[in-house]
Amino acid sequence: MIPDLGYLALILALAAAVFAAGAAYYGRHTNQPRWIESARNATIATFPLITISCLLMIYSLVQGDFSVEYVWRVSSRDMPTYLKVTALWGGQAGSLLFWNFLLSIFTAAAMARNWRKQKELMPYAIMVASFTQIFFLGISIFVEHPFARLAAVPADGNGLNPLLRHPGMIIHPPMLYLGFVGFTIPYAFAMSALISGKLDDAWIKITRRWTLVAWLFLSLGLVLGGRWAYDVLGWGGYWAWDPVENASFMPWLAGTAFLHSVMIQEKRNMFKMWNIFLVLLTYCLVIYGTFIVRSGVISSVHSFAQSAIGPLFFAFIAIMFVFSAYWMLKRRVDLHSENRLNSLLSREAAFLYNNFLILAILLVVFLFTNYPIFSELITGEKGFVGPPVYEQALAPLFLLLLLLMGVAPLTMWYRSSAERIGMSLRWPALAALVFIGVLFAVGIRGWGALLGFWVVSFSLILTLLEFWKGTRARMKKGENVFVAYSNLMARNRRRYGGYWIHLGVIVMAFGIIGVEIFQEQTQIRLAVGETASLGRYEMVFLGATRYAGPDDLLITEATVDVYDNGRYVGQLHPRSELYTRTNQPMTIPNARSTITEDFYVLMVNWEPATADQATFRIYLNPLINWVWAGGLIFVIGTLVAAWPDPAVERSLSRRRHPVVTPTD
Amino acid sequence: MADTTWTTTGEEALFPAKNNRLKFAVGGVLLLAAIVYLIVNAMSGNTQLYKTVGEFYAEQDRLVGRDLRVAGFVLGDSIEYVQIDATTSRLEFDIVDDINNPTQRLHVVAMNEPKPDLLQHEAQALVEGSANENGEFISNPGGLLLKCPTRYEELDPAGHPDGIDTQTGSIN
Repeated sequence: MIPDLGYLALILALAAAVFAAGAAYYGRHTNQPRWIESARNATIATFPLITISCLLMIYSLVQGDFSVEYVWRVSSRDMPTYLKVTALWGGQAGSLLFWNFLLSIFTAAAMARNWRKQKELMPYAIMVASFTQIFFLGISIFVEHPFARLAAVPADGNGLNPLLRHPGMIIHPPMLYLGFVGFTIPYAFAMSALISGKLDDAWIKITRRWTLVAWLFLSLGLVLGGRWAYDVLGWGGYWAWDPVENASFMPWLAGTAFLHSVMIQEKRNMFKMWNIFLVLLTYCLVIYGTFIVRSGVISSVHSFAQSAIGPLFFAFIAIMFVFSAYWMLKRRVDLHSENRLNSLLSREAAFLYNNFLILAILLVVFLFTNYPIFSELITGEKGFVGPPVYEQALAPLFLLLLLLMGVAPLTMWYRSSAERIGMSLRWPALAALVFIGVLFAVGIRGWGALLGFWVVSFSLILTLLEFWKGTRARMKKGENVFVAYSNLMARNRRRYGGYWIHLGVIVMAFGIIGVEIFQEQTQIRLAVGETASLGRYEMVFLGATRYAGPDDLLITEATVDVYDNGRYVGQLHPRSELYTRTNQPMTIPNARSTITEDFYVLMVNWEPATADQATFRIYLNPLINWVWAGGLIFVIGTLVAAWPDPAVERSLSRRRHPVVTPTD
Repeated sequence: MADTTWTTTGEEALFPAKNNRLKFAVGGVLLLAAIVYLIVNAMSGNTQLYKTVGEFYAEQDRLVGRDLRVAGFVLGDSIEYVQIDATTSRLEFDIVDDINNPTQRLHVVAMNEPKPDLLQHEAQALVEGSANENGEFISNPGGLLLKCPTRYEELDPAGHPDGIDTQTGSIN
């Protein structure tokens, strides 16, 4: 009964989406606002309907209704309740249902937030968003039916994959999904602007805001995914350039390019065509990423179901791509830039270089990710590109981007003086050089690392100077340093939030260079009382014990004493967990984390029978925590930049629209 | 910002802008060439061939010694982990294309690699390495990649394989 209701709610949601698309079209073409309003209501109605469907699925999961195939597949009686809830996105059918739920949140929120101000853009935005909803709801209802029943009801379910029981893995997929799904809204508004021909600055403002929201979630998803890999997978790394990772990284890159180039359009009415292209590209990459992830078309370490949805996704991408390209070409005259670049040394030129570099990175990642397909088409033999190839090709591009990140804020709109910029760069460049000298003096070698550290420290100094210059200007008005800084941030959240994001990226870059170039590792068997050393660390194996944990867990835990330069700094407890019911082991690392490095220990084998020996794999990961800290700064910066400011919005809105309706 | 000559609103751009277009065109071509160079340079000699076990045996002579990425399913009975001495371990297992019809087995050897958690019967392995003359496939360091075992992709009553769709990769 309950599952049938869940299914019924989904069907009603599909009907609402179909009605919304039809009513929006009819209302627009017959010029009947009532129909468009009706379309909006139908779009909003998908949200409660899909919410009901999700809640009923969660109810079935928590109750353990194993007559539902999905419940049987991803949950079991002995799972704690919170895991039964999160099992909603633990399998293909459920995660598509969850995807639909998030999409309905975004579309309903866009209707609620933008309805009054953007009435003209709404009909087509509803149509485009509804079309996406129809596709995903159709997949859920006709292909990956989450409420499908089993003929015979099993006594218990399969249980959730132990690897997915980590908090990072519980939060990471929803964040990624939010990011992916969120890009539907900017796409819908961009398409609406194209189709309606209303290509003034209204669409770009809405699109920028929604892109920033989606981009924030996607960024969070990427960072959390890396953290989960580091904590759970036990290989001392966080990113492997796997096709599935790249599938999330590519739309993130396109979105990043858009968030920068949109500023040129706002300020100088240039690059309109380019901005539309970037929004469409981001959306197409989202759908393409979903296709890669769920179709299994490219071999990946990530295990995903190989289901029948591949061709459907492919058809959907093709339709959306042709549809987008058609309208972009049709409106190409309206999208002409109203201004041209005056100088190669200007803020707009800097944004152009930024876009060029980001798109170059995107192109490289796209080519390498799809290399198995391309190589098979060209040579008849399937090839594969591993992480070292990515790193070699991308490192110079990332370094240039980091360099630009520091220098670009010094440029002015329209035209900058090379001399003035040169003056501003002189001392920071020298200071960064001194820093490199210090690194060299303390024994850091390798021109790649030193060059990398020079670029990031140079950019760091320049970015900090931007904060300082702004704060000092306010201090001259008599504000003390704290008040001046707070006011600076409060009055220019978009700009200085952006610089905080830059700071986050720079801090992450320090970490990435550190861990990529200077990571050390060793694997060694130790008997009780024996010592292993790595870098300036020593580790003494004190013994291991085995005990029963919660659920069906059997835990084997080692105890090691850790010494840093001969000084005792604490104990670590790397362990191995065995889910006895499924006989699935999990190796859980334990690390001593400091600001300079992680001493990361895995117990990879234990031989209690033979003299109580255990084999450890030990990693020394320099600056790894800078990666996480940078991620945190990045997210805070994005929140600062994206948080809506009602007062500013009202005043902007008044300036843009001299005739203000009472509802505004 | 005293310069106000930039406010061109008509079709005609200022002289410097025209000049810039040429500079941009030349710069753009040079940068594209640089990117092509980066891509080609990084890839040359560093790409792997992707083979199934059957494809590998079909061209074994040609593929011995080449850097490959071979995919197959693990036969649980063949897994063996031996700690030879304090710093040397040897992990061995066989992979096949079809777990129910294991006619051609590729014997994988990984030195000094921990036994991955997901290395179990029916797990799908992607092994980066190269085959030697003895028919052993030697994994590169860190070249043992495992997907989720098919236990989580059990056949449903209709016989369609399905599975967990969230990240479950184990890289060791």
